[in-house]
Amino acid sequence: MSTTELIEVKPESEFEEGDRELVDVNGIEVGVLRVNGEFHAVQNRCLHDCGPVAEGQVSRKLVGEFVEPGKRVEKDYDDNEPIISCPWHGWSYDLETGEQLADDDIVLPTFDVVVEDGVVYVDGQQ
Amino acid sequence: MLESDESQPNQEALDRYHVIDGDCHYMESFHDVAEYMEEPWKTKFEESNFDEKGAKQNLSSFFPFSTGDRQAHGKITREHSSYPDEPETPERIREGMESIGVDETLLISHLILAGAGTTADDDRQSAFAKAYVEYMQEEVLDPDDGIHGLAPIPYGDVDASLEILDRIEGEEEYVGACFVTAGATPPLGNRKYDPLYERCEELGLPAVFHTGGAGLDEYVRAGYQEMLETHTLGFLESNMSQIVSLVVQGVPEKFPDLDIVFMESGITYIPGLITRLDEEYLKRPEEAPLLEKKPGEYIKDFYYGTQPLEISADPEYLEKCFDMVGADSLMYASDYPHWDYDRPTTVTDLPFLSEDEKKQILSGNAQEVFDL
Repeated sequence: MSTTELIEVKPESEFEEGDRELVDVNGIEVGVLRVNGEFHAVQNRCLHDCGPVAEGQVSRKLVGEFVEPGKRVEKDYDDNEPIISCPWHGWSYDLETGEQLADDDIVLPTFDVVVEDGVVYVDGQQ
Repeated sequence: MLESDESQPNQEALDRYHVIDGDCHYMESFHDVAEYMEEPWKTKFEESNFDEKGAKQNLSSFFPFSTGDRQAHGKITREHSSYPDEPETPERIREGMESIGVDETLLISHLILAGAGTTADDDRQSAFAKAYVEYMQEEVLDPDDGIHGLAPIPYGDVDASLEILDRIEGEEEYVGACFVTAGATPPLGNRKYDPLYERCEELGLPAVFHTGGAGLDEYVRAGYQEMLETHTLGFLESNMSQIVSLVVQGVPEKFPDLDIVFMESGITYIPGLITRLDEEYLKRPEEAPLLEKKPGEYIKDFYYGTQPLEISADPEYLEKCFDMVGADSLMYASDYPHWDYDRPTTVTDLPFLSEDEKKQILSGNAQEVFDL
């Protein structure tokens, strides 16, 4: 059974695009980010070697499309799939789902972010 | 009528000149030269199967040399094959099959293994491959008697390769297309080869990638001294480089119905390659955007010939390698009559395989892949 356990981050009005804040969620350090207006929260501990993944580069997923034999694979960034990469070794995760881009069996814990009465909270229930 | 050209010196005029030829070839006798050599070279040369004209005609008369002495300094003989001195004959193939205990066989060109590294021109490989396809079909291949063929693909010339694939369409003698992994530049995952894989997929022909001795002296760098070095490393590198290229460039995603087979580098390299490539991919997946799963999973989807099987390895290690690659991905291969051939006993003697797995490896997988 899941119960809501809100941990305060900071007022939404002070949470600007690109900001990130670290909060303690039941002993787990969690990074809260605002990307394209959306809030995301991920564990700040990479599943590879415990690096500070929530402090890493935020970018877009690169996708490829096979058009026809003999032609270059068309590559582009998907604006709808923000990713975050650990600065230690580059392990990258889908910011929304926490899935490692190379292996979706590896999932970085993510947390719901809620805004109540103008304040941003992390839901401590994973 | 041609007029005399006074500007061209005639033969007599040359007598007035002192001429030094900067490039001419003396077909020396290795037997004679060996007499003047110090040991161990004298013995090595005398036992290396060169003849009085220099190189024997079996390998190097058309394509250039590669490192080393395949007969391992005179130690290797083949009672049931004409290799390496004389051309093989259909009868001798059956004799060889029987001698090692093989019922059906897939024949791959011997000469093309050396030719793949040829870069002097872009014609001779295609010319050879086309002639080979005709010759083999006419005189050697006999599917009713279990003698099947793989058509050599001179992939450097995509048009000529497509002509060969067109030529063998519907021909029961040919059950696959053979790509020699040595010497492929750019490597075989490059999009320029896409039409070949597309055509193979369309024809239902597996793409068989076979390592080879082409350019083995300098397979990556010059300076190796012995075939022990180049054969160990070069054969491995040629296969590994193409496996990585095929997977990372997404060939299995582009052509999902294409069966891919790799021959002649044993099996213990495969787990090492899988784990290394997966480790890198976890850090750089954006460089292989066509992949839907980890590279190692595609590598496990490929098929592998078992020869030269590393039967001297720790059995636990070898068993782990079999487990990682999967008995459903392995096919017995002899490489007969080459110096390091394997008999089927290399598979039947393995203590950790079940009877079903042995059957799979010895024939089941090949029957399925090559539709035999």
